[in-house]
Amino acid sequence: MELLNKAEKIVNACDRCGTCLTVCPLFEADGIERTAARGKNAIVRALGSAILEPGEEALKALDYCLLCRACVDACPGKVQTDEAVIYARQFLTDKMGGAKGKYRLIGRFLGSRNSIKGMGHVLSLLRRLKINRLLPLGLLPDEYLTAVAGPIILGSHTNKTSHESFRVEKVAYFEGCGMRLFFPSVAEKTKSLLHATVRRLSIPDNFCCGLPHLAHGLMEDFIRLSEKNVALFSDFDVIVTDCASCGSTLKHLARFIPTKEAASFSQRVMDLSEFLVKMGYTPRRQEDLSFTYHDPCHLIRGQGIKWEPRKLLSQAGDLREMSGADVCCGGAGSFHLDYPLAAKHILARKKVSIEATGAKMVITGCPGCMIQLSKLSIPVCHLSQVI
Amino acid sequence: MGERNCLEGELDRFGYSYDASFVSLSARHKPEMVVRPATVEEVSHLLSLAYENEIPVTPRGAASGRTGGSIPLAGGLALSMDRMTRIWELDEANMMVTVEAGARTADVYDFCAARGLFYPPDPASWKFSTIGGNIAENAGGMRAVKYGVTKNYVMGLEVVLADGTVINTGGKAIKNVTGYDLTSLFVGSEGTLGIITKAILRLIPMPKKRGTIQVMFAELEEGCLAVQQMLVSGITPAAAEIMDRICLTAVAKHKNLTLDSSFGACLIIEIDGSDEKELERQTKAIRAIAEGLKAFRFNVAQDSKEAEELWAIRRGVSSAIAALAPDRIGEDISVPRSAFPEVVRRINAIAQRHNLTIAVYGHAGDGNIHPSILCNLKNPEEERRVHKAVEEIFDAALAVGGTLSGEHGIGITKKPYIRKALGDEGVKTLRAIKEALDPKGILNPGKIW
Repeated sequence: MELLNKAEKIVNACDRCGTCLTVCPLFEADGIERTAARGKNAIVRALGSAILEPGEEALKALDYCLLCRACVDACPGKVQTDEAVIYARQFLTDKMGGAKGKYRLIGRFLGSRNSIKGMGHVLSLLRRLKINRLLPLGLLPDEYLTAVAGPIILGSHTNKTSHESFRVEKVAYFEGCGMRLFFPSVAEKTKSLLHATVRRLSIPDNFCCGLPHLAHGLMEDFIRLSEKNVALFSDFDVIVTDCASCGSTLKHLARFIPTKEAASFSQRVMDLSEFLVKMGYTPRRQEDLSFTYHDPCHLIRGQGIKWEPRKLLSQAGDLREMSGADVCCGGAGSFHLDYPLAAKHILARKKVSIEATGAKMVITGCPGCMIQLSKLSIPVCHLSQVI
Repeated sequence: MGERNCLEGELDRFGYSYDASFVSLSARHKPEMVVRPATVEEVSHLLSLAYENEIPVTPRGAASGRTGGSIPLAGGLALSMDRMTRIWELDEANMMVTVEAGARTADVYDFCAARGLFYPPDPASWKFSTIGGNIAENAGGMRAVKYGVTKNYVMGLEVVLADGTVINTGGKAIKNVTGYDLTSLFVGSEGTLGIITKAILRLIPMPKKRGTIQVMFAELEEGCLAVQQMLVSGITPAAAEIMDRICLTAVAKHKNLTLDSSFGACLIIEIDGSDEKELERQTKAIRAIAEGLKAFRFNVAQDSKEAEELWAIRRGVSSAIAALAPDRIGEDISVPRSAFPEVVRRINAIAQRHNLTIAVYGHAGDGNIHPSILCNLKNPEEERRVHKAVEEIFDAALAVGGTLSGEHGIGITKKPYIRKALGDEGVKTLRAIKEALDPKGILNPGKIW
């Protein structure tokens, strides 16, 4: 009940005005009330006052959410619907005897560093042999395992790392599972960028950020992984990540782990773009390079980072702004696997925006978005590949 | 119509059981089925079935109404217009646009604005509310003082009657006295007389220049007087919005600002015209009036960003107030413009008498006031005081020659008070019209009286 109370407390501030109806990418796609934030908030409230019974249907409705925070951003009262959805998912999951098998499996897989590394090797071997694409869609390991990249978990309004005493003696790279599994060569680029800007870079063997667990009713696992990461990085001045989802999760630990150590850890996490701008890094300009930039939900709304990547990109080449750059691409962790039709619909709109710019490639800062955007015919790159 | 457009699941039906009013969520308000027609033929067919089988039908746009108008009180069908969003025609020669009822007001505005034409009605919900909903509630907005309300722009309607018959009212002729003015009858009928499916809307040329002015006064009364003097002297602002001290304090708190304690009222004015010169002339005249009333501060927005910041204060006021207390009962009384200060005085007295906080903001230019009672309805004793205060606010509005609702409609929430405003005979007349058009009483039952 405590979880439901937490969710209820958040949604009680919703006065059902309807502002969120215009920004929810899922409501745009299907137009049914239960899809929009107002609908989800009402469901949570109805669960709390026994108008609706907790059960499979309610979980299904709350599961159908990108956690993209477009609604929170637009809401006049800044109702944190994403947070309420996470609590309510956990409440319903517990009520129904635990997380679904596939989420438990993924959760266990991600909970172990060795299994991620092992799988990373297998995937890179497949890639090297160029046989990963030959696998039928349903079995494509890329596709299945992207379920781990995770949707969002964010806190109060966007908050950036505070740099009152900005020390860069000891800098660490946090390598997210998404980068490690699917984009190891991009992670290498990030590492070399960091090597070039700091005196000493450490790459501790970190644990999963726990976002997939948090999003799918495995809150205990999330807390366990987070505590391990907090301890592992206790000695570093700055922890840099090139994954928007990991970054926003790591920056908002305090909401779930009310310790001083967790708060201190979150304060030291930085996104790659944020860190490079802070360090005064200037990319070399490539005149023939034209690209457009897609804001990951977890970067723009999860961390309030909008201009840093744009600054770096406008130095690196011809940055062409697309309309609706901050609209979710529909990837959202495992969402695109669980709801392929809705994800496709959202991606189709993104495609139109991207193509209208005439840019040769699209740049972003999250492996989750990269996986989703890769379904388009235009090349997709991570920020660290072009700066 | 397809499975996705006839929803029967419990959770889906629950989604169509509430609106943006303070009517509490309730299992009793769930419709038995949600239907989402895409054409007037489908609406007509649904209505003929409903009529034959005496199934209640509650129409719904975006459910952004503030008085419970789209809440199904008797089960039956929730008729969602969200798929009927087509803009049929823009007739530039006659300056009229024909749109389906489910089109969002902002989309219609944008479509016309891109062609230099202006659809002025701008209820606070205009970004998400629908044209059909606006017409059914005769929605107002901030521009009413200069440009009027929704009814002033509806030239004709396509309406599906209770038995499924489709009629067309009005048309593009400016002068039209052929028979009763049915268009006006359906405007503001809150879904109780027919289902509006299409509308012909009148447009005007888009004003070329706009300006925004903010004036601070010591007292609300001076702000109201300023607006009156402006109008009498021939300066008609496109909008004149006023907020009292409680609102200002709430906004300051919400935005973490410090507020000069001498500010008792804030007036935000929009002016428009064909060129800069005209704006300058209006600004000068308004400044003279403000100075005559000892205004503290006179801010003229220098660019669109500054104008946006000033309007953000007004637009943010509702949620800023809402954040001050667990519950907020927002009302929508409307009085003759000259009675604005008097009714606010009475509201303040009511607040004092019942030991409640009542924030007041509203459209000073047209006498439409939104008193907001900040309260905690979980406390039964306080709830009783709140209800008493609401009733007294309505009494105050009626006493100065005003009425219960300016732009939100009666719906469910103001039902208990309608006899006070219209009298038994007045309500009887409404009922006679209702019975003539909907003899079986299937259209949005349980509303208005």
